[in-house]
Amino acid sequence: MRWGMAVDLTQCVRCYACVAACRIEHFLPMGMSWPRLVAMETGGDSPTVSTYSVRCNQCQNAPCVEVCPTGATYQREDGIVVIDQDKCVGCRYCIIACPYQNRTFLSKDKDKGFFPGRVETDFEKAGKKLYRHQVGTTEKCNFCVERIDAGLAKGLKPGVDREATPACVNTCPAQALTFGDLDDPNSEISRLIKEKNGFQLHPEYDTDPSVYFIDGKIGYSDEPELRDDSRQEPASAGAER
Amino acid sequence: MEIHEWMINYTRQTEWIDRRGIFLWIAFYAGGLGGGLYLVSLYFNSLWGMFISWLIIAVIKGAAHLIYLGKPLRFWRIVFRPNSSWLARGIIFVLAFVVFAAVQLALSFWLPGTAVEIAFKVLAGMAALAVTVYTGFVLNTVKAVPFWNSTLLPLLFVLCGILGGFGLAVIIGLNGGNVNVAIAETGSRWLLIVNALLIVVYLWAAANRETTGKKSVMEQMRGNLAPVFWVGIVALGIIIPLAIAFSSYFVSEVSSALLVTGVACEVIGGLALRYCVLKAGAYKPLVAIAG
Repeated sequence: MRWGMAVDLTQCVRCYACVAACRIEHFLPMGMSWPRLVAMETGGDSPTVSTYSVRCNQCQNAPCVEVCPTGATYQREDGIVVIDQDKCVGCRYCIIACPYQNRTFLSKDKDKGFFPGRVETDFEKAGKKLYRHQVGTTEKCNFCVERIDAGLAKGLKPGVDREATPACVNTCPAQALTFGDLDDPNSEISRLIKEKNGFQLHPEYDTDPSVYFIDGKIGYSDEPELRDDSRQEPASAGAER
Repeated sequence: MEIHEWMINYTRQTEWIDRRGIFLWIAFYAGGLGGGLYLVSLYFNSLWGMFISWLIIAVIKGAAHLIYLGKPLRFWRIVFRPNSSWLARGIIFVLAFVVFAAVQLALSFWLPGTAVEIAFKVLAGMAALAVTVYTGFVLNTVKAVPFWNSTLLPLLFVLCGILGGFGLAVIIGLNGGNVNVAIAETGSRWLLIVNALLIVVYLWAAANRETTGKKSVMEQMRGNLAPVFWVGIVALGIIIPLAIAFSSYFVSEVSSALLVTGVACEVIGGLALRYCVLKAGAYKPLVAIAG
């Protein structure tokens, strides 16, 4: 079993719902976001914008796991890379080693509160009880392991049953995110990747990410009249230009 | 940088040089300098040199590492995974050096010439070499940063550390320490030449490694890092010390003040070298950019 995610770039409507859902699910401090919506402009006079919803790739050959000097970052049997916050010393070697830069060091200035110096919201108070973040440690997306584990314990199927599926996948209004077992050839995610030529970011690093991008056409324009003409295939996914 | 602009272009690493990352830069340089000085001091059998190198590593490097960590009280956890992380190995080397060198210093002071003292000199010397070299491996194993991903980096750091060690040894010799200043100067002279050549080869190799590597090199030579590179590394780190070294060799004996100036320039050059190496490390954009 290897949990993975597919991001269908043609479906993404850039609504930031995945980012918001993650913040709510994990009570993320305002200065930090586990998933990111990356926007890229290409072309000079008539620029086109393409977006990528990115997050920790849960690499199978994860450089962050290899370099962690304390074992705080480790890989579960289901392929998900997690961080034990109680073991992290905050050396940030994992941040340095990640070719995708999808880890964040939680410094004091990133955890000032939603309304610094004014008021602590009920949401923040709840977060301190339910999902404690430790300033001085590194954090990243964990595919909502809490939901997966709790769901599996109830006999639910992640990617199929909402209760066992990552929050960002559940909330995506455009159904651009698909979650499932990459080792199961009959799963929805495996089918999508196979049929739509899903690709991983920077395969040249041999990290074998568990996040795939589907229909990776770059230059997908926000302007309807430009859409059909402006789509450009990347020379090769993840390669340099 | 706005959150949606993250990694759309070549992105410089910031964690290990900006803001509190400055302490890691100091720690990395202190390791090289302290280790290099210890090795040079072993050659000259200079107790003062050994003691100063111990202070540099135990106090400056140790403190800088602790200040940098997000959770310094968990420091002890680092030493338990030497099989995978160069950072863990490095800290073990540092602890080993601090212990072995402390015992050696005590033995050299109270029981000089004994077999035990020699044994601890060997152990501390090996640990010092490891402390000098490990930072190169910490960086060169990071595949994500092509500028660092070079086998030359550990060699560059070791030679730079020993060069700094020769420089400090000159000062110790001038102040009555047990150092032959003429030999230390000769060592400095040769290492300056080798270091300069190695820096050129390193930059040339990095520029030809990948587009990202070339960007890192260009950033140093023509970008925001150019003042640090040309003034810090080239002028202060190489040209001025070389000029002083050759004037003392070909012309006449130079004044102590000039020698000290040369050593200060060498130290600044070493600091500038590590600063540029750390600061210029960059990642590829997350996605391919259509041409």
